[in-house]
Amino acid sequence: MTPPPEFEEIVGGDVEAAERARLARVHALLVQAGPPPELSPELESGPTLGMTLTRRPGRARRRVMLLAAAVAIVALAFLGGYIAGNGGGTASAEVLKLTGTPAAPHAFASLQVEPVDEGGNWPMRLSVTGLPKLSGHSYYEVFLVRHGKPYAPCGSFKVAADRATTVQLNAPYRLRHSDTWVVTRQTPGSHEPGAVVLKPV
Amino acid sequence: MEIALDTPARLRAVPSRPSAEPVPAEQATDSELLVRVADRDREAFDVLYHRYIRSVFGLALQRLRDRDRAEDATQEMFAAVWRSAGSYRPERGPAAPWLYAIARNAIVDRLRSRSELPVEPPDMTADEPGPAERAESSFVSWRVHRALETLPEREREVVELAYWSGLSQSEVASFLDIPLGTVKTRTRSALAHLADVLEGELA
Repeated sequence: MTPPPEFEEIVGGDVEAAERARLARVHALLVQAGPPPELSPELESGPTLGMTLTRRPGRARRRVMLLAAAVAIVALAFLGGYIAGNGGGTASAEVLKLTGTPAAPHAFASLQVEPVDEGGNWPMRLSVTGLPKLSGHSYYEVFLVRHGKPYAPCGSFKVAADRATTVQLNAPYRLRHSDTWVVTRQTPGSHEPGAVVLKPV
Repeated sequence: MEIALDTPARLRAVPSRPSAEPVPAEQATDSELLVRVADRDREAFDVLYHRYIRSVFGLALQRLRDRDRAEDATQEMFAAVWRSAGSYRPERGPAAPWLYAIARNAIVDRLRSRSELPVEPPDMTADEPGPAERAESSFVSWRVHRALETLPEREREVVELAYWSGLSQSEVASFLDIPLGTVKTRTRSALAHLADVLEGELA
């Protein structure tokens, strides 16, 4: 353990008694407190996205809530399909709008990120229109982007011609506040991100 | 592969609530920041995070003695701040003790988590501090580390080198390549600044 510095060496002799006593108290507190901890780069980088999403309720509470919600669900059942079909979600979800790049100029998408589950998964729902149908075994991939670079894949999908498509995806990563996503076009066998077809608005 | 994004698009909350704040977040008090966080002001949250991250993580590390679990507790603490900032009432007291209580609860939750083994308390001798002393010591660390965040970088630097790097004032001067008198002036100024902040209880 590093020995604390000498108070006299720090403050010197030309300080009046009241101020000396005040500084001495701070000196003692600094010695008592010890050094602040080293932060990991992850903590240093700032708040994560997860901090600003509402946590999902625990199992017991969820059961009660589900029971209470059941009546409302039955009563509003006919609305459910409408809501699901039109991108409705929970108030705590976050939504990222994506627009087509020159590689897919008519494409548009909405990526809804749900609160993390107990296992550390971030369920996501991507609703996309205007992407061209790909030939052969090519497919689209959703990539998590961190610091301007593709960081990790979050799921792949295909689309039918002239059809809106909605797919469920997942990001099993500790998301950060500045994270974002893009959609790329992938060819079979390639693990590198392909051409970006959708990027954040 | 680098992906060029024309605009720094980020996730936005639903529904979004635009707000115009008269005081920059960096200059706002902790209490003001908490009020803004209750209005879902992410910039205020970011500033509050950086003011308290070392205090929170330090406290979690002290109690949990495991960096991974301390990081998880820290994440949970700030998530709790985001969720519960609306319950903070500035007229009832300063923000620091309120945040400390939130942090302590997050750590206790982590300790009680059924999915994780609790930390075994070490064998204690008569000379070691009891729970009350440890709690007081934790709060001292919390306050001091938070107060350190208020220092200008050049003052914080000399304090950290003098107190926790084992360097004498002469060695600090040599290390930073500045006159010894400047080191002493900055260190004394830092102590005075810390005294002001700690006496003001971080309102």
